[in-house]
Amino acid sequence: MDLALQLLFTGIGIGAVYALVALGFVLIFRATNVVNFAQGEFSMVAAYLMVVAVEAGLPYWAAFIVALLGMALLGVVFNLGVYYPLRHRTYLPVIIATIGASILLANSVLAIYGPQPQVLEGWFETPGIQVGPVYLDSQYLLIIGVTICLVIFNFWFFEKTLLGKKLQATSQDKEMASLLGISVSTMIMITFIYSAVLGGLAGILVAPVLFVSIQMGSTIALKAFAATIIGGFGDVTGAIIGGLALGVIETFGAAYISVPYKDGFAFLVLIAFLIFRPQGIFGERVAEKA
Amino acid sequence: MRLTRRDFAAGIAAGIAAPYLIKSANAQGATIKIGMCAPVTGPAAESGGYAIKGAKLALEAVNKAGGILGKQGELIVEDDQTTNPGIVLAFSKLASQPDIVGFLGSIRSTQVHAMAPDVIKLGKPVMIGGTDPNLTHMGNQWLFRFRPNDSYSGRVIAEYGVSTLGKKKWAVLHSTDAFGTAGGKALTGALEKLGAPSVLDQGYANQSQDFTPVVLAIKQSGADILGSYFTFENDLGIFARQLRQLGVNIPWVGSPSIVNITALKLAGPALYNTYGVADYAEDSSEGSKAFGKIYRDAVKVAPDNQSSWTFDAINVLSAAINKAGSTDPAKIREAILATKKFAGAEGEYNFDQNGDGLHGYNIVKNEKGNIVFDKHIEFND
Repeated sequence: MDLALQLLFTGIGIGAVYALVALGFVLIFRATNVVNFAQGEFSMVAAYLMVVAVEAGLPYWAAFIVALLGMALLGVVFNLGVYYPLRHRTYLPVIIATIGASILLANSVLAIYGPQPQVLEGWFETPGIQVGPVYLDSQYLLIIGVTICLVIFNFWFFEKTLLGKKLQATSQDKEMASLLGISVSTMIMITFIYSAVLGGLAGILVAPVLFVSIQMGSTIALKAFAATIIGGFGDVTGAIIGGLALGVIETFGAAYISVPYKDGFAFLVLIAFLIFRPQGIFGERVAEKA
Repeated sequence: MRLTRRDFAAGIAAGIAAPYLIKSANAQGATIKIGMCAPVTGPAAESGGYAIKGAKLALEAVNKAGGILGKQGELIVEDDQTTNPGIVLAFSKLASQPDIVGFLGSIRSTQVHAMAPDVIKLGKPVMIGGTDPNLTHMGNQWLFRFRPNDSYSGRVIAEYGVSTLGKKKWAVLHSTDAFGTAGGKALTGALEKLGAPSVLDQGYANQSQDFTPVVLAIKQSGADILGSYFTFENDLGIFARQLRQLGVNIPWVGSPSIVNITALKLAGPALYNTYGVADYAEDSSEGSKAFGKIYRDAVKVAPDNQSSWTFDAINVLSAAINKAGSTDPAKIREAILATKKFAGAEGEYNFDQNGDGLHGYNIVKNEKGNIVFDKHIEFND
């Protein structure tokens, strides 16, 4: 039982990271109908921005704000440079452009900062606390807390605010939204900014656990992508549940079946979903788009 | 001007022959070229940078001392991207240059396995740092190893843990790639011979983001000592931190990556008081000390095995070419195999007929981040 509790906590912690990145995937997919394969690189870039800001002598909180502002700017540049010029094309060129952008981002950071993995200290001086038989890593606690806050925030933002409803309207039917006076391009711009910030937040939060490296983004993004499909592509709740489920499944699978096949469990579940329930747990609201 | 059939035929012949003549002329160029596959990008890019620096430092010294066959040595580096397909591509790019006389391959066994078939096809000497014992025992006469292989490291880890530290309940943790699998097998085999079979033999996949299940398995096994073979330093760093966080403080004797500069930086205090088998230990010999000084002065970073093996590889290869008096691959091969009592950064090289240059390991201890040399264990077999 102690073992299971420890695994559950770790699984939820790592799953929350997948969920944060998956959320970025979903938001952009809903707004543009394309998958942004550079979402993982957003996490990596933010982690490096954080390292640079901390090394420059900024207090941790200020470095955090600087990094997130940097990500907002990256979201603007990404939208204008990658999505906007191709917005009238089919989804394929846009997807290829996002793959190209992810390679560009990774190699740019490599060229500027070098290949050295970096250590980013966590928010708390205490690495964790022991609660009975379970060790609670403070960074994972923070990640879980932030994920819960974001779930609440997203619900409030998308369901209770005018801007959120405009974003939803844009994602559901761009032409109708436009006819209703909503600036579609502005909404898409806001979506890219929000997704970049979300991806960046995930990167900054997970950096003290996984270290800051060029590869960190792609590693997380692959799992987050799987989480998005499992949860239901295009569904915010699905992304969160999918991410958490994936984290828990792979952690328990590694502990009780096989450690070397840990990644295999995640993708086995993904394949099973693609075969038996391709719309994911919550399913895509196809009717809304029809 | 009238073009005769003879003129036309001569023109065609000249056109066909020209590229070969130009290539041949290049092959007899002003420098002696040595190719190097190194991870410039990918997870091992940092250690790859150290490897390139080690090779360049050696070549600078060789050139200052008169060069190779009276010419300046030149290093041509191709990025292996820290992947198997990457090193195959990098090696094929280098192999297509006929004026490259010898090569430096990878420190990662799995990459050396990937490039090995092409090495046989090319038939030129390739210096390697991969420590899977099979690499020099699978009939590939062109691979020459500049680090002691894992049949030695497994025996040294087992011997040190059982005899010196007095521990008999072993948990063995290893990567599931070629290096880790071979290392884990060597260690469990050595433990069985010492009458202390492992209570846990656990593999893990490279680039894991979480080692909680592994740490809990170690905890549950009741092991009183841990032996490890980690391929990548970031994996080692994450594992070390989680091991300590989850309250496992048993002695830990690891393969050389446990004392790598990158691992020490990432894991920090989580690696304090661990032991490592190290092919490079700065205080282990005069050659090691000399390299340490050159490297620190030039790179401003503490040296480790990532740079020491490439430093030695360039020195031995250059000396072998000079001794052979030729760039003929077979003659270079004979000269490398004839290398005995060569004092390198990693220790004394005595090549056997398999192409293994080193036959022992150092034991070192991490004392608050400082790597302290304990002893060297040499084997005669």
